Parts: sequence; C-alpha cells; structure tokens
Amino acid sequence: MNSQIKKGILDLCVLALLEKGDSYGYDLAGSLARKVEVADGTVYPILRKLASEGVVSTYLQESQNGPPRKYYHLTDAGRNKLNAERDEWIKFCGEVNEILSKETGGKADE
Amino acid sequence: MNKTEYFKKLTDELGHMPYGDVKDIIQSIEEHFDEGINEGRSEEEIAESLGDPKELAVEFKDGAKFKQIMKKRKMSDNFKGPDGRGRIFVIVFNAFVGIECWLLLLAAIIAAFCFLAADCAFIGLIVAGLITGTLTEFMLPFIFLILTLVCVAVFLVALLILGIKYYAKGLKSYIRWNKNVWNYGLGED
Repeated sequence: MNSQIKKGILDLCVLALLEKGDSYGYDLAGSLARKVEVADGTVYPILRKLASEGVVSTYLQESQNGPPRKYYHLTDAGRNKLNAERDEWIKFCGEVNEILSKETGGKADE
Repeated sequence: MNKTEYFKKLTDELGHMPYGDVKDIIQSIEEHFDEGINEGRSEEEIAESLGDPKELAVEFKDGAKFKQIMKKRKMSDNFKGPDGRGRIFVIVFNAFVGIECWLLLLAAIIAAFCFLAADCAFIGLIVAGLITGTLTEFMLPFIFLILTLVCVAVFLVALLILGIKYYAKGLKSYIRWNKNVWNYGLGED
C-alpha cells in the first residue's frame, strides 16, 4: 500500500494499541506488523514522535529473561487525541469507502 | 545482514542527529534485537523484518523534524501570548512618539502666531506713521518687536521643516515595525 497514505494513520494505530494497556517496543512492533503491512522497525520512529508530543510516556521495567524493557504508556493527552482522531478517521473512511466502492461508484449522493 | 551491519548502516544514516537521540534510537533497536534473539530468531531474520535501515533512519529524522516544527510553533504561540502585550506596547509607545508630533504642531502654531503678530504690528506701525506723519520715539522698539517676531517665526519654520523631514524619513520603517509588532512578529499580513 502507498506509504504516504499509511504514514499519517499509523500514529493513531499505535495509540490505539496502547489503549489496551502499556506495552514495549518489540511487542508493539509485532502487533502492528501482524495487522498492517509495515516493517517491524516502523513503530520506533512513531513511538519517539509520540513521546516527544507528550501523548505517550515511557518507563523502564525489568523483564524475567533479558534486559529491562522500555514500556510505553498512553497519557491523558494521548487518550484525548486518540478519541478525537479515531472518530474523525472512521467517519472519513466511511465517506471514502462510499466513493470508492464499485456498487455505488461515487454516486453516494443520489 | 547481521545486527552489527544493521547498526552500522543505521548510525551512518542518522549521522547528524544529536548524540543523545542517536543513543536512544540505538538502544530501542538493540532491545528489539535482544527480544527477537530471546524468541529464538536469527539476527538476519530480525534485521530483515525491521526493514531497510536507510528508510528507518529517514523516518527517525522526519520525526525529529516534526518535533522541531512543533517546538517552533510552541515558541511563537508563547510569543503571541493571550494578553496581547505587544499591542499594548505599540499603543503606549505611539503615545510617546505622538508627543513629538504634537510638538511639531505646536511649533507650527506658534510660528503662525508670530507671523500674524508681526503683520499686525507692521500694519499698526504704518497706520500710526500715516496718522502722525512722523516716526515717533515709541515706534523704534516696535520695529524691533516686529523683527524679533519674524526671526522667531522663521527659526520655528526652519525647525519645523527639519523636523518633518526626519519624521517622514523614519516614518516608513517605523510604520513597518509597528505592523510587525502589532501582528505578533508574524510578518505584515
């Protein structure tokens, strides 16, 4: 899929994944890459950007085997952003789908 | 591509990012490798699924750019301020600049008065001369008064012309500066 189209919405996807609970990079990368066709690495620049915006916060936590993991947590600001933009996206998707779908063929208004 | 090769390519591309940021990025990718290896995956496999290190570096850099833009915007928001101090400053400052303007006007009025008084005195003198037929003693200081008045008026007019000249010179750039402050330093529009 066109990476430009994907780019804008992946931020929101990461926020949505974090809504289910705090998580660490490797886990988030896997969750995202399983659902959407993106490289595992994609999640890391997004997480950095979200952290700098203050919509996610980070903390270190020991893991049973191996080095400590950097966990990401959805902040209140992040939750607000997610809720607002999720509704916008779903509405937008509906409109786009209606235009693009073969049945209506862009004649949704009629 | 193994882990070492991947990191070499990634850090090469990250090049001129601040050291702290590069360190942070490397740490998170290193954590990713460690987690994958713990799961029994090979370094090559993990590197492959992470994606092209060049592209990844570009994404990191784009994110940093975004951060800078946000910072800039925040700064300009702070400068704007909700209290509009810039605009109050312009008003107060212009009141002071206005004083100069009033002074010029005052000088013009005084000059006009002097001319008028000189004219009146001159006419009075002629009339007095016509009536008495001769120049009496009291007329001498009268002539001096007229000359003084004319001198003062000429001096004030010269001052006025000079003042207006410099005022006009500064006015153009001054107005531009005012506009700039009035618009919170965001250009003239």
